[in-house]
Amino acid sequence: MNNNEHNVKSNKEPRPPKACGWMAEFENEHDLLHAAEKVRDAGYTKTDAFTPFPVHGIDHALGIKPTILPFIVLCAGLTGLCTALLMQWWMNGVDYKYIISGKPFGITPASIPVSFELTILFSAFTSVLGMLALNGLPKFSNPVFTNAKFDRATNDRFFLYVDATDKYYNRESVKELLSSVHANSLDEVIEDSTPSELPRWILLGALLIVLAGLIPAAIVLNMRASFSDLPRWHVFFDMDFQPKKKPQQTTTIFKDGRTMRPQVPGTISRGQLDQQDPFYLGYDPLKVKTTSIDGEKQIYVSTGDSVANVSAISPAVQPPAGTPASGTPASGTPASGTPASGATPALPFLEKLPIEANEENIKLGKAKYEIYCSACHGYSGFGDGLVSKRAASLAQDTWTPPSSLHLDRIQKQPVGQIFHTISKGQGKMASYASSITPQERWSIVLYVRALQRSRNANIEDVPVDQRGSLTAPAPSQTK
Amino acid sequence: MSSKYDLESIELPVTWKRLKPIFFAAGLILLAGGAFLSLFARGADGSTDSAFKFFMHSYLANFMFVMTIALGALFFILIQFVSRAGWSTSIRRIAELIMTTIPFLALMFIPIIAILFANYSAPYEWNVPAEVHSSVVKAKIDIGYLTKEWFSIRAVSYFVLWIAMAFYFFGHSRKQDETGDVEHSLARQKWAGPCIMIFALSVSFAAFDWVMSIDADWFSTIFGVYVFAAGMMAFFATTILISMALQNAGKLQSFVNVEHFHDMGKFMFGFIMFWSYIAFSQLLLYWYGNIPEETFWYQVRLQDGWQYLAYGLIPLHFAIPFLGTLSRHVRRHRLGLTFWAAWALAVHWLDMTFLVMPNAGAPSFMPIVGHLLGGIGMLLVFLSFFLVRASDVPLVPMKDPRLPEALTYANPLL
Amino acid sequence: MASISSSYNPREIDNTEDMPGRRAPLITGNQTYTSVTEMVCRVAEDPQPRLWWILFGMASLTASMFLMLIGFLIYKGVGIWGNSSPVFWAWPIVNFVFWVGIGHAGTLISAILFLFRQNWRTSINRAAEAMTIFAVICAGIYPGIHVGRAWLAFWLLPYPSLNLWMWPQFRSPLLWDVFAVGTYASTSLVFWYMGMIPDLATYRDRSKSPFRRFIYGLLCLGWTGSSRHWLVYEKAYTLLAALAAPLVLSVHTVVSFDFAVSQLPGWHTTIFPPYFVAGAIFSGFAMVVTLLVPMRAIYKLENLITLRHLDNMNKIILATGSLVGLAYGTEFFMAWYSQNQYESFTFINRAFGPYWWAYWIMVTCNVISPQLFWFKWMRTNVVAMWIVSIFVNIGMWFERFVITVTSLSRDFLPSSWGYYRPTLFDGLMFFGSFGVFMTLFLLFCRYLPTIAISEVKGVMSASDHAGHLEAEVLAELQGKDPKHAGHAH
Repeated sequence: MNNNEHNVKSNKEPRPPKACGWMAEFENEHDLLHAAEKVRDAGYTKTDAFTPFPVHGIDHALGIKPTILPFIVLCAGLTGLCTALLMQWWMNGVDYKYIISGKPFGITPASIPVSFELTILFSAFTSVLGMLALNGLPKFSNPVFTNAKFDRATNDRFFLYVDATDKYYNRESVKELLSSVHANSLDEVIEDSTPSELPRWILLGALLIVLAGLIPAAIVLNMRASFSDLPRWHVFFDMDFQPKKKPQQTTTIFKDGRTMRPQVPGTISRGQLDQQDPFYLGYDPLKVKTTSIDGEKQIYVSTGDSVANVSAISPAVQPPAGTPASGTPASGTPASGTPASGATPALPFLEKLPIEANEENIKLGKAKYEIYCSACHGYSGFGDGLVSKRAASLAQDTWTPPSSLHLDRIQKQPVGQIFHTISKGQGKMASYASSITPQERWSIVLYVRALQRSRNANIEDVPVDQRGSLTAPAPSQTK
Repeated sequence: MSSKYDLESIELPVTWKRLKPIFFAAGLILLAGGAFLSLFARGADGSTDSAFKFFMHSYLANFMFVMTIALGALFFILIQFVSRAGWSTSIRRIAELIMTTIPFLALMFIPIIAILFANYSAPYEWNVPAEVHSSVVKAKIDIGYLTKEWFSIRAVSYFVLWIAMAFYFFGHSRKQDETGDVEHSLARQKWAGPCIMIFALSVSFAAFDWVMSIDADWFSTIFGVYVFAAGMMAFFATTILISMALQNAGKLQSFVNVEHFHDMGKFMFGFIMFWSYIAFSQLLLYWYGNIPEETFWYQVRLQDGWQYLAYGLIPLHFAIPFLGTLSRHVRRHRLGLTFWAAWALAVHWLDMTFLVMPNAGAPSFMPIVGHLLGGIGMLLVFLSFFLVRASDVPLVPMKDPRLPEALTYANPLL
Repeated sequence: MASISSSYNPREIDNTEDMPGRRAPLITGNQTYTSVTEMVCRVAEDPQPRLWWILFGMASLTASMFLMLIGFLIYKGVGIWGNSSPVFWAWPIVNFVFWVGIGHAGTLISAILFLFRQNWRTSINRAAEAMTIFAVICAGIYPGIHVGRAWLAFWLLPYPSLNLWMWPQFRSPLLWDVFAVGTYASTSLVFWYMGMIPDLATYRDRSKSPFRRFIYGLLCLGWTGSSRHWLVYEKAYTLLAALAAPLVLSVHTVVSFDFAVSQLPGWHTTIFPPYFVAGAIFSGFAMVVTLLVPMRAIYKLENLITLRHLDNMNKIILATGSLVGLAYGTEFFMAWYSQNQYESFTFINRAFGPYWWAYWIMVTCNVISPQLFWFKWMRTNVVAMWIVSIFVNIGMWFERFVITVTSLSRDFLPSSWGYYRPTLFDGLMFFGSFGVFMTLFLLFCRYLPTIAISEVKGVMSASDHAGHLEAEVLAELQGKDPKHAGHAH
């Protein structure tokens, strides 16, 4: 009814400022509290007080309910904690595992500091942002700002406000109630009639600033997505042009003019022991010397006192791991047909077995020989293995028959060369390095030597106590 | 005198006074029963020596359990005067009474000194140099630091300092009860600062001597702070429980209100966090550094079944009570706060067990029960000391000029 | 409010005596809400004194020099510093820890003292928080420019990089530092800003010019002083305090982890976390005293930042200084007690080795000079406390120098030993960081509320209220009629 009257009154004026409620001014917080209690007891709930500092007891006096902010902050804190733990677990324990001072991956005591910090970070920002959200701030247009008198609410005066939207609001009775509580003054709060939109120039200015701010980002993005023929900018000359030599450059410091220095003889790279140790090679790499003359790589074999030129091979072929200068043509002539390689020691091959010639190694060598070698070379080493026989029966001229191990030239080969042949292959024979371990290869060499010996043995080679068995007829012979 | 602030309500309940001998006797019986279980009921694997070692560690752990509470009370009194606090005036006497049990606790330390002079290597292995194998410990004995004479002199001087401080503060408090003279407050304010420095030094070194030197190889500079933090938490828990019990017996009704409980709850919460901070700092630095001389202390505590205690402390001493006392509604709730105070006191016992017991070797069932009985017994003895102190003394310093502040202050936030 | 004679001279009134039973007034001079507003707003509304312009000129010049030096450093590389084998962590980290330490006082005052209901914090917390933020800015610069390629410093953050396809190393204490200092800086900033909102509204409402009103109006987000807003605001402030209190401890704890997780003797010790925190609070309070003593004189704020405030801060300096001394002693004792030859060597080398001078400067400034604060006349004499506070600042810088340089210069291998010498650039850049700090602080004094006006008023009101209540209870305790007593007081 009062609203009705108010509306009627408003209609008479051309631009009536709408009244939002009554505001009473007080000298101090005690008067305000008394008044607030009275207003509360009168049943008004859409009330508020405006004070320069938080007046304690006002929540009770006005009947304001406690805020749920702590609960929101607790949730945010737990979110922060979980985020931090998940992030560290995933980044360092799953996606990008990286060993650092032997520490385990995933969640460890070392994850606690960051988890703690993120818990606090999330909670703290939620406290502030939650406070602003619950209070509806920022809010730049407010009826309270319309009267300059109310400016003292942030200085030294205390205001009590009853809003017109309260369900018990009656303009006159509220005025009467507030007049009875010893207020300094009583004013009706009018609506903020200034336009609520931002002025055009502020919007334009903000837009311009935002656009200008995008320019550098746009330039960077454009440069990242496009190509350019121009040389790159050198901002940091000290970093781009450092007074140091890089690989593959020349220098005047060293006689050979190279910045990269060759390895000191005997240097063994980590994990490359098999390229440096005679046990893995069959020859002694320290006795191999190379040098380069007119682009031709020369291999010299040092035999202690004198150095002999072994061969000149093209630089493309890597010595000494490459084939020894066997000179075997690819025409398909049998390897046994060129005696050159057998006669000259191509590499400083070992003359002595690096493993012990005992029963265990003989048995190992026999087993491996029969698995890998006997198919071609035959069980007794005459080159009469099943594969060889079958190939011969097919009579195709692409087949190179395997050598007999009892040939004189092979019998004269040092053990290292046999080892090398097994390791690197020879002629049609492929490398067996990936199938047979060095230890097993040496055992095979040992067994081959035993086979060769068995073809050239005389009675003196047989132990005295067993010579008798040779004279007795063998079981197979009786059969 | 108005009826609200009744003189009767600041006296110890009559029934409590009768409890003194009962508590004392029951405590001693439990201690003896615990000792019996530790010494004679040890499993077949245990030799007499190891059983004795276990018992001595158990006694030391239980002694530290109550000693740290009394030291917490002493520090509380000192810090109240150094900060000129008003809120705590109405609960301060309870803290003063806990603090003045230190002379009795000094008597409880005599068995440990006696054992040293009887040349036993438990609980301190360095006491018998012939049995020491570690060169580091030998060096510590050789430089004269870890010897029974020096140790005893230091222990006596710690007790002398603590007792002197406690009785200086208690004496002024009692005199003020009669005269109400402000000078008594001023004198205590004046000396609280220097006393705190003495306290900090003596407690650090007492922790090094009494607890850290069990493992004489090991060292940690933070150890004194660790023991202090644990003791403060236990002190607040004890004071909450005693105040609650007194109120339930119809006393202190208008002197201790929800604001005091709230504040003590906050401090208890704070020291739960502070203990966790200190314990974590020590763990992290030793875990990360990974130096064998430092990590073996944790290794001892992570084997033979002690690992359940060590890992258990993380939820029991930190996570669960932290979440439990996080809310102000819990801290202002009588039953809630009582529960968490009791919890804190129980985990403080576990914490002291964790510090001392694993060095005694693998636990078995009966000695552990004996240790628990000893802990309860020690607490009862401690309470009987408290009751002895509290019998003839008003429970509130009625003439303290800051009492009105304590009775009117409010705790609107947090 | 306690009434004091109106013919008040701040130099004569001593509110440092706090007789038990009668709290001394926190602010002097018979203040009203109006006069408090007036006194604080005057600082920003009146033309600045000539001294401000002189100081600002000097500070901004120094800051410009610092910025140019940073440019030169980035262009030329960190080789212009004296950092060299074996001391690779030299002045930059010393300065970082120094500034971060100073940045501990503000949030400590606003958070921890708030939780302990230390009402005297209200007059000093705003300036201290501002100082905190500026100090953390200075601190953050050093690791940023020490990474070598400063323009790639953002690689420290865990962002999904399409170039790198990798993540930061979360088990490194240096990364914890990024999170700790980052969290601390941002949380301190929002704490500071949120505390300022009501005071910015006061500035807005007192503004005469529309432009000023517009700017402060934007900054205060439309604050009205509504009680409903205050209620949520206070809750948020309390929560922030409760969060910031452990945060303050954690930041310098994490900084101490940078050192202590290593195995270097002199660094690897468990007391480091609480010891660093105590040292940080110590240096922070010293810097607050260094700044507030001139500030209260220049802006005539002696009635708000009273001798009592300074006295209390000096007591905290004394307490934390003694704690730091206790930590030095504990370290020395443990080095001896542990019977570890490396530990023993390190500490003897600190005190009597080539850097003995740094060690004894540290001990003199940090442990001995604050002991003067046992005397009340020292605590309440502004000139004396100002000098001691400067000594403490110097001492705390040397503490970090001693920790960093003496331990690093002595490797486990004697063949790797060295002696660190800073270059001119080290010195100029450290000096320059003070320029940045002072420039920001002077701008803060010029434009923002230097004292938490609303909090001071709240404390005035609360102590007034408490006085009445206490008088009533006192009367009741003494058996009088409480109703009369309350008014008689």
